[in-house]
Amino acid sequence: MGTVHARSMDSFPMSGRDLGVHPDDVDVMEAGQETKQEILENKDVVVQHVNISGLGRTKEDYLGFEISDVFTARNLVEVMRKSHEARQKLLHLGIFKDVEVVIDISEGADALPNGLDVTFDVTELKRLTGSYNTMVGNNEGSMVLGIKLPNMCGRGERLTFQFSYGTKETSYGFSFFKPQPGYYQRNFTLNLYKVTGQFPWSSLRETDRGVSTELNFPLWRTDHTLKWEGVWRELGCLARSASFAVREESGHTLKSALSHTMAVDTRNSSILPRRGALLRISQELAGYTGGDASFLKEDFEVQLNKPFLWGSVLSASLWGGMLFPIGGQTTSIADRFYLGGPTSVRGFGMYSIGPQSEGDFLGGGAYWAGGLHLYTPLPFRSTRGGLADLFRTHFFLNAGNLCNLNYGEGPRAHLQKLAECIRWSYGAGIILRLGNIARLELNYCIPMGVQSGDRICDGVQFGAGIRFL
Amino acid sequence: MSLAAEAFVSQIAAAEPWPESATLYQPLKEDQILLSDSASSLAVQTFLRMCGLPIQVTCRPNAEYMSPSGKVPFIHVGNQVVSELGPIVQFAKAKGNSLSDGLDDVQRAEMKAYMELVNNMLLTAELYIQWCDDSTASEISRPRYSSPYAWPLNHVLSYQKQWEVRKKMNAIGWAGKNLEQVYEDVSQCCQALSQRLGTQPYFFNKQPTELDALVFGHLFTILTTQLASDDLAEKVKAFSNLLSFCHRIEQTYFKEHDRESSGSSRHSKGSLP
Repeated sequence: MGTVHARSMDSFPMSGRDLGVHPDDVDVMEAGQETKQEILENKDVVVQHVNISGLGRTKEDYLGFEISDVFTARNLVEVMRKSHEARQKLLHLGIFKDVEVVIDISEGADALPNGLDVTFDVTELKRLTGSYNTMVGNNEGSMVLGIKLPNMCGRGERLTFQFSYGTKETSYGFSFFKPQPGYYQRNFTLNLYKVTGQFPWSSLRETDRGVSTELNFPLWRTDHTLKWEGVWRELGCLARSASFAVREESGHTLKSALSHTMAVDTRNSSILPRRGALLRISQELAGYTGGDASFLKEDFEVQLNKPFLWGSVLSASLWGGMLFPIGGQTTSIADRFYLGGPTSVRGFGMYSIGPQSEGDFLGGGAYWAGGLHLYTPLPFRSTRGGLADLFRTHFFLNAGNLCNLNYGEGPRAHLQKLAECIRWSYGAGIILRLGNIARLELNYCIPMGVQSGDRICDGVQFGAGIRFL
Repeated sequence: MSLAAEAFVSQIAAAEPWPESATLYQPLKEDQILLSDSASSLAVQTFLRMCGLPIQVTCRPNAEYMSPSGKVPFIHVGNQVVSELGPIVQFAKAKGNSLSDGLDDVQRAEMKAYMELVNNMLLTAELYIQWCDDSTASEISRPRYSSPYAWPLNHVLSYQKQWEVRKKMNAIGWAGKNLEQVYEDVSQCCQALSQRLGTQPYFFNKQPTELDALVFGHLFTILTTQLASDDLAEKVKAFSNLLSFCHRIEQTYFKEHDRESSGSSRHSKGSLP
């Protein structure tokens, strides 16, 4: 038996976000392999040695868990599959540029007749890598310069420095990332950052300087994030003409908050999913660990996607959140919720729904928003794949409300308040998917239920962002 | 005041009358405000009282950051916000309230020169003592300035402020001075003011002007504020006509006003020694 290069087995799915394969394409693989399996399945083999060659600064013990599964393979197909899985795991660690798998018959004194040796030939990333990219966030573009030290101490540690110069904000951040050896999904992150943002809908400028530590871990089928954040926030007016209500919020505050996020994501893609559901629940408790902002904030997001007729997808989503002030304090404008714009309730101006003063939106203590979408592929497209695959047309119906609640009243009164003066809109548009992280939308919107003070965008509205209702 | 700001103030002050709800914002009176801000605030209040314009005083811990110029005090009148004495005088004038209309050009130039003297000498000396004298800075200025903030922001902000003031002192050449030299400057400034005042009731005889408001604001605050040492107040006390000037303005514009309107909202004023 000769040498089998597993590198060409690319018909196996690659999972993980940074590998550049669209999870959309996952379901094409199974067909071609049935025949090969019949022949090779019965040949018993024993994996005797698993080697990793090409290691420089990476500590060998860090990789043990990723490759140990290969030993359990009992026949050739299994060996190939497990090796391929191990290769994916190794690539997923983000410390190797390339991993090649070589499967060969065992040689040497202790070699068994049906023994196999598996060798992973890895190429490590450079000690220092730089990157330059442009980013699209929620209605804002920025240029990001980054310096990264991957695998700093040989066990997957990563130190990142980012400097971003944007159309509206300039910011920088240091980040240190450390995964648990053998359990990449369980990891720890430490961040130091300064972020400056301008929010013209509130005539507000905010500069945040902060420290945060984050613990990520999967639990059963859910992903959890525990986070502590200490942030010094400096608020100021964008212009002399800012409303007095915003002027009153100016100055320095210190927020120290513990937060927990739980997410279950079974979608096949985060931008234009065809099936699957997302549930994300997060809560933030500020003030308990110091600082001068005290509140409890609850937020949730649900999204369901179902394939519909002729390749179209039916999608429904619901967002909601509440902010409870603690200890009789009023909440800061920087902590409240905002709603409206091309990424949430379409047909309204960016964050231009709800309480306002002299044209400056002040945000609210409670909100909900729901959306119903029908995504269809572009008409008249010739073949699957190609440029047309990045586009979708969609028809949507959005609704939502944002208001302040009087917490002395009961839940009935709250629900009633949230059901009053509902803003909604409907329309249609074209979506362009940018990689697997962002999307652009060009919509024709018809806003309804407009309340006095709301800023609307009747007609064509353009939006770019990473999170969509 | 810059030309642009002057134009802006006169432009925004439309012909609307002075509203009853006009409010002056300053830092917290008991725990936070410092000598220099307190003096500036009292000067503005005195000016508005001399004009007969009602104002409510509101204390806010973030008054400094609410102010469009970053300096206290500022007033919120109608939907306009104006900070510091100079622009406020212009603003009141645009609304038809002026104290210096009766002066001729020479007198007006003289008044402006004396106001500059007070700002350059007294105000700078106050800032110097607050932030550059180590014992005053550590015992009074930093704890008071940072009182509304949580740890560790209180230290960050108070040192940041101290650094800013020291940088300014460097720029104007005061950094090399010692405390004695600063007291001497204050003394000289008071000497000049005392000579100009002479035996008149106000700097320009019978009629009070914004200069009177400014001088009263600073001298009265210096006399009534407890600092690390009494040296600064002693320098002012050496000039008896300035003392009686302070007493007179206090009697006329604060005591009598309060007696008249004892039932209504209590207007804030500097406390007596």
